[in-house]
Amino acid sequence: MTMQSSSAAGGALDRPNAGTLADVIDTILDKGLVIDAFVRVSLVGIELLTIDARIVVASVDTYLRFAEAVNRLDLEATGQHKGLPDLVEGMEEGGAKKKTKGAIEAAGDKLGDMIGGDEDEEESEDEEDEPQPARRRRR
Amino acid sequence: MAQSETATAGVDATQGGGSTRAETVVYVYGVVPGDVAENAAAKGVGDPPSRVALVRSGKVAALVGEIPADAPLGTPEDLTAHARVLDSAVTEVPVMPLRFGAVVTTIDAVEQELLAPNADAFAGLLRDLEGRAQFILRGRYVEDAMLRELMKEDAQIEELREQIRGKPEDATRDARIALGERIGQAVQVKRDADTHAVARALDTLGFPVVTGEATHEWDAVNVACLVELSREDELRQAASRFAEKQEGRINLRLLGPMAAYDFVPAPQNAG
Repeated sequence: MTMQSSSAAGGALDRPNAGTLADVIDTILDKGLVIDAFVRVSLVGIELLTIDARIVVASVDTYLRFAEAVNRLDLEATGQHKGLPDLVEGMEEGGAKKKTKGAIEAAGDKLGDMIGGDEDEEESEDEEDEPQPARRRRR
Repeated sequence: MAQSETATAGVDATQGGGSTRAETVVYVYGVVPGDVAENAAAKGVGDPPSRVALVRSGKVAALVGEIPADAPLGTPEDLTAHARVLDSAVTEVPVMPLRFGAVVTTIDAVEQELLAPNADAFAGLLRDLEGRAQFILRGRYVEDAMLRELMKEDAQIEELREQIRGKPEDATRDARIALGERIGQAVQVKRDADTHAVARALDTLGFPVVTGEATHEWDAVNVACLVELSREDELRQAASRFAEKQEGRINLRLLGPMAAYDFVPAPQNAG
């Protein structure tokens, strides 16, 4: 079945309660109505910290990472010829499923490093019991 | 109008240019209908988090917070607070988000310069959003699965790998860049195809769709859609169907409901 490769218990689709910081940045940055289009007189220019967690997808750095990744597949293929004890140990750890999960987590870590740590996870927890700032009045 | 205690503290209302000095300024998150009630417990931008308040002007209102004039914005906490304030309201009321970093001098300015002159336009935008929210489908390729898929489809990748194999790193830089570029281009082709497939599936259901750019090298899909909250289940089912068809090559996540960040009108150049 298709389910085996997914780490999510409820199927192949992951439905997080709250996005990570990287998600938030991708979602809100440069999005939304521009206040300058409406307000001129009372506009305040406030200092915005530089936020750029995006990586350039078409760059030499990315290409070298791709090459490294595809060459690493070689090593793994070679590694499969190792002795029986190693194989058994691998299976005890959960085999293929474990490996897939490792890849996903590694990707998450990389992104986390880039944008400054594990803050996003703490934030996500906060959000769940966050009261709503606005709620429709009962009429 | 609702006058906050600190709203006018020391504000010199001189116009034009950034010379205005005030102890506090007013951060604006977004615009909501005028008939919403305030929840004072919500936490906004700044450190410590500012209080979130409502400024009303007839049929529209703005979600605002007073912040120090001299503190820069843009920490992770600020970004998540901006999103949280807007997104947590969206299941109850239509929300028109302003771009992160919108700051004006005073509460009065929000009412008189932002809301009052634009009330009809904002009300119209909010009517269009009534009962709807944005969701984002984000997919990331599973690295090994995608690499194997590409190797199977493109013999040249294996040839380039042969050229590199066993040679010292500094002798193979060009070959490695060529190999990586070929993979990068192939991933882009996959990304376009998968994004198109997701966008089509959502379009078939009648949901407006905006496709976003890739922000990570293994990004597969980044598609925002505007969905009636009553049809959230249909969206989830469509997303699940797509995810299951991927057989482990894409990790797909459904984010939302959130404010309609990708569905606001394009900025108008008013002089």
